Amino acid sequence: MTSDRSMPAALTPEVSGEQREGLGSEQRNFPVNTETQISFKADQNQLRLYLPTLTETQGNWSELCQQLQHRLDAGHRFWPAQGEVEVMAGDHLLESHQIQQLAMVLSSVDLQLRRIHTHNRQTAVAAVQVGYSVEQPDPNRLTNESAAAEASPSPISSRLPYAEPLYLQTTLRSGSEIRHPGTVVILGDLNPGSSIVADGDILVWGRLRGVAHAGANGNHQCQILALQMEPTQLRIADRLARAPETPPTQFYPEVAYIAETGICISRASDIPHTPHYQKP
Amino acid sequence: MGRIIVMTSGKGGVGKTTCTANLGMALAKRDYSVALIDADFGLRNLDLLLGLENRVVYTALEVLAGQCRLEQALVKDKRMTDLVLLPAAQNRNKDAVTPEQMKQLAYALTKKYDFVLIDCPAGIEMGFKNAIAAAEEAIVVTTPEISAVRDADRVIGLLEAHRIESIRLIVNRIRPKMVQANDMMSVSDVQEILAIPLLGIIPDDEKVIVATNRGEPLVLTNDVALSGMAFNNIAQRIEGHELDFLDLDAPYDTLLSRIRRFFRT
Repeated sequence: MTSDRSMPAALTPEVSGEQREGLGSEQRNFPVNTETQISFKADQNQLRLYLPTLTETQGNWSELCQQLQHRLDAGHRFWPAQGEVEVMAGDHLLESHQIQQLAMVLSSVDLQLRRIHTHNRQTAVAAVQVGYSVEQPDPNRLTNESAAAEASPSPISSRLPYAEPLYLQTTLRSGSEIRHPGTVVILGDLNPGSSIVADGDILVWGRLRGVAHAGANGNHQCQILALQMEPTQLRIADRLARAPETPPTQFYPEVAYIAETGICISRASDIPHTPHYQKP
Repeated sequence: MGRIIVMTSGKGGVGKTTCTANLGMALAKRDYSVALIDADFGLRNLDLLLGLENRVVYTALEVLAGQCRLEQALVKDKRMTDLVLLPAAQNRNKDAVTPEQMKQLAYALTKKYDFVLIDCPAGIEMGFKNAIAAAEEAIVVTTPEISAVRDADRVIGLLEAHRIESIRLIVNRIRPKMVQANDMMSVSDVQEILAIPLLGIIPDDEKVIVATNRGEPLVLTNDVALSGMAFNNIAQRIEGHELDFLDLDAPYDTLLSRIRRFFRT
């Protein structure tokens, strides 16, 4: 069974008319935007929490809070005790109770909300009301590029092509989706109905049973690695593959990558021999 | 122009999604083109029952956001080419769409398909409002339990308030033996309360569970199951044929039980 699984035919490339077309050159939402979720960045001794821009969250506050809680829990071993967090709120309008909610969520992993950076005057007023210091860009300096970049809610794309890898220790359950403009490492399972969309590689130290989309910004070199590969769907860049109808009975750590015929899967131990891997 | 039919129940777990999948298949088998809309955002299941989970690329949400065309999001069934599914998004909740948007989607589908079946989520909140927004007809699914019937009654009230003309009833999971023994509400008991035209009676059947787990709707399997026949009959009644209801009591209608019934009434 292993030999046929390492063949490209092990995965069914999507060929039915409509969907193939959907993934062809005229596909409109490609590359996929991965910067729609909250992100953390460590800067010197500071932890910065970036909220996605308003248009991306569509102002759905409860979803944002849930996402934050999930992210915090998934990295619980690594947050510094009593660490101080600066929230980069961008153009978000935060009311005082929302700021308090943020502080409460952060305190659940022993982090402290310290300061709020915002463009929004009302947010600034609300933050002062509940006793947090505020940093507002000077309106006169706003045209200045460095000031704008500093307050920008998506810090990553402007500096590097890929963000730092995102490491999460969690099981992704049905309905949860992780989007990240870099590589994603999951210590846990990806249940059916969940998905990861990453600009870089995806590593799953566990069972991959949901949807994984690597190289979402169009990078064909990206790979998906899992201890147990039973995906609903694999996507790399603009390619798509489904799992075979009859699942294999035995599993090995495997790697999915793009070959000439489409996405194929090889045993992790065979990977050094595939030509793809030897490419610089 | 196709007909838009919503499948709803109020209570969860009575078989809305199973009925939607099977009726869709039964209609497609009778050479109609059918589009199924999963309106259960956040808890979608219809793709699973149809065995199409791994073919979902886009969802209704992406269509509404303008990130793909409607045709791109439609998942063609692997067995029936005339059946398509418009999947719901799994990573959002019911507030992600508005009734207006659902109308847009459903109306767009009526142009190409004879039937548009909408699988409504349980409950009577936003998801329900979305699902019934576009519907011209409704099928209320209930089981012969007081809780399900009570919820169905409430839903019928809401559907009437929403000016949906045709509301018909499917009684699911009837166990003739228990009805005979007077341990279960009979179809006529249910109808007495709900007072809407009966569209079909589906017997409780273990094969439904098997079919669900395999992702193969019952009406497609070749072995003759009473429940599969019931679905096919319902499809014909939706077409407008007059059909007698299946006689589920036949195997249990012994002389003794007839005498017993005679004395009871």
